[in-house]
Amino acid sequence: MSTQNAFLGIDVGSISTKAVIIDEHNTILAQEYIWTEGNPIGAVKKLLGLLEKQLDRDTWQIVGVGATGSARRLVGSIVGATVVKNEITAHAVGTTTFHPDVRTILEIGGQDSKIILVENGIAVDYAMNTLCAAGTGAFLSSQARRLGIDVEEMGQYALQSAHPTMIAARCTVFAESDLVHKIQMGHPREDIIAGVCRAVASNYINNVGKGKKICSPVVFQGGVSKNVGVVRAFEDLLQCPVIVDENGHLMGAMGAAILAKRGLKRTVFDFSVEKMDFVTRERNCGGCSNNCEVICVYRDGSLIDFWGNRCERGAVH
Amino acid sequence: MKQQRKVALPRYGEYNCVLKYIVEQGFEAQCILPPPLSRRTEELGARNSPDLVCTPFKTTLGSMIEALEAGADTIIMVHGACRLNYFGELQEQILRDLGYSFEFINLSLYNTGKIKDILRALKVINPRCNMVKAGRAVYDAVKMVEHLDDTTSMYYQNCGFDPTGTYPKIYRKFISDMYAARSLADIQEGYRNANHAFADVVLEKNPDPIRIGIIGDYYTVMDPFSNLEIEQKLADMGVEVHRLMNITNDMLRNSEKNKQIIIRRFSEYSMGASSTTDIWQAQNFAERGFDGLIQVKSAFCMPETDIMPVLANLSREYSIPVLYLTYDSQTSDVGLMTRLEAFFDMLEMRKKVAP
Repeated sequence: MSTQNAFLGIDVGSISTKAVIIDEHNTILAQEYIWTEGNPIGAVKKLLGLLEKQLDRDTWQIVGVGATGSARRLVGSIVGATVVKNEITAHAVGTTTFHPDVRTILEIGGQDSKIILVENGIAVDYAMNTLCAAGTGAFLSSQARRLGIDVEEMGQYALQSAHPTMIAARCTVFAESDLVHKIQMGHPREDIIAGVCRAVASNYINNVGKGKKICSPVVFQGGVSKNVGVVRAFEDLLQCPVIVDENGHLMGAMGAAILAKRGLKRTVFDFSVEKMDFVTRERNCGGCSNNCEVICVYRDGSLIDFWGNRCERGAVH
Repeated sequence: MKQQRKVALPRYGEYNCVLKYIVEQGFEAQCILPPPLSRRTEELGARNSPDLVCTPFKTTLGSMIEALEAGADTIIMVHGACRLNYFGELQEQILRDLGYSFEFINLSLYNTGKIKDILRALKVINPRCNMVKAGRAVYDAVKMVEHLDDTTSMYYQNCGFDPTGTYPKIYRKFISDMYAARSLADIQEGYRNANHAFADVVLEKNPDPIRIGIIGDYYTVMDPFSNLEIEQKLADMGVEVHRLMNITNDMLRNSEKNKQIIIRRFSEYSMGASSTTDIWQAQNFAERGFDGLIQVKSAFCMPETDIMPVLANLSREYSIPVLYLTYDSQTSDVGLMTRLEAFFDMLEMRKKVAP
């Protein structure tokens, strides 16, 4: 029996690395979600190992690979991606495929947050936090650590609270001092946690969502969408139901896989990169006072890609 | 005979060629070009500036230091309609505290709007110069500004559609011609040559390309180093990039009052500096059916921050997406590329489904 086409999508974020394998009809054949732990190359290799075990390789053959997320360039060149796309487009494509009627996509990841407005299945406007990472997953993680709980438990704690503590939401630094102050004043832990969740949601609405008309249906995704406390806070603030897809954390990877499927390029991907040795080296060009940091990627000792140079002087051969 | 002054203006896009012309042809002094802006310029500026001042202050201060290192003994600083009016005074003080000795021409002290006062300020460069000659050089320089702005907008509107890759070469040649110009004839010839060369390139442009209008604060939007070459990046994606903000449109042919009347639906009063002009430009782009707008601003720029709600209203009314970008002393353009690519993808998809 001949094999059928499958597509791999990889989304390497600052905190977590996600991947899915889908068939021609966008059915998920394999999926995985692991922590990046500051090592995107290691994470991708590990992830591919996990996916390989889930996939029946006698039936399916991966013919297209899409890479997205903040490490898309690096990962794209390692796995030989057929499509390398930014995470905003990937999220929009992934979400509109599974929720064709969606009007607003809220997305909060490890260190960035974005809002995408959709009309008739097409993204028509978007915004992304620029200078400041206030109100993102990284803030929740550090506050969970301060309170001595796992970030995954925060949502359940928050739901137990009847009187969320008011916490200044404008800026993460101020929010943190406010939070410490409230802890020392003796506010109960679940109220503090509910307050933190509320702060994340209102910070988002006031910052990234500023001036945007948020219409229902609203889909919330990204790592933070797994926190029911924040979901509840959004529902209170927006006065409408907020949909969290069970695969919401995979939407970027789904989008990347779908884009690989839509793309014209076809290359068979055989998981052999798992066994290869990848090294990145930074080299300062020194050709002029910009002193660009050029990143070089080597596969088993030979250069496969480089970037970071602003002009030809920084090219590496 | 007294030695010639060595005059410098901090780097400002490519406008330094204009000062060079005025100083050398009009005042018979020497013009020192500060080195091109680099990370070092930013670091020098940031180290010696107040932390929360806007980035152009830091960049221009860094460039002044590099000009003094390059041998300049006279620094010129421009004025504007915001905090920029106080920049010169503070920068002079910082440079003196750093131990440099130099002559400082702070144009904001002569800010009357009359050309004779500007000439009076510039007379410091060479008190014995022939004012008729100086006046003529200023007139030629105005022509140079017009040609420079015209060629620059021509370049960014079309270079994304040039399959031969000659556009950048023509533009670089034009810029170096302007730096080398010694007479009005040189200026006119450089401009004509560039225009003819541009016309000879056969562009591959579809009849309805993606058009993006760029607006923003005076310095960041016009200085490619400060905005991480946003215009070139967009052009390379295949975008027709339009920027109305330049010295020709905003100083030589500006009519602030008329603009305020045209935009009264969105904003009745001026919010200072580039605010009125920017809203007017945004409305102009929107009415001409552009696909998207990008606001380029320096962090801590008050007027640009103030107009954001107005741009949001405009965006809704004309259903034109706006991408808001805030620049600080960034060293990496990865984040910028993510946002630009996403914006481009979105505009492209919108265009595909638009009736």
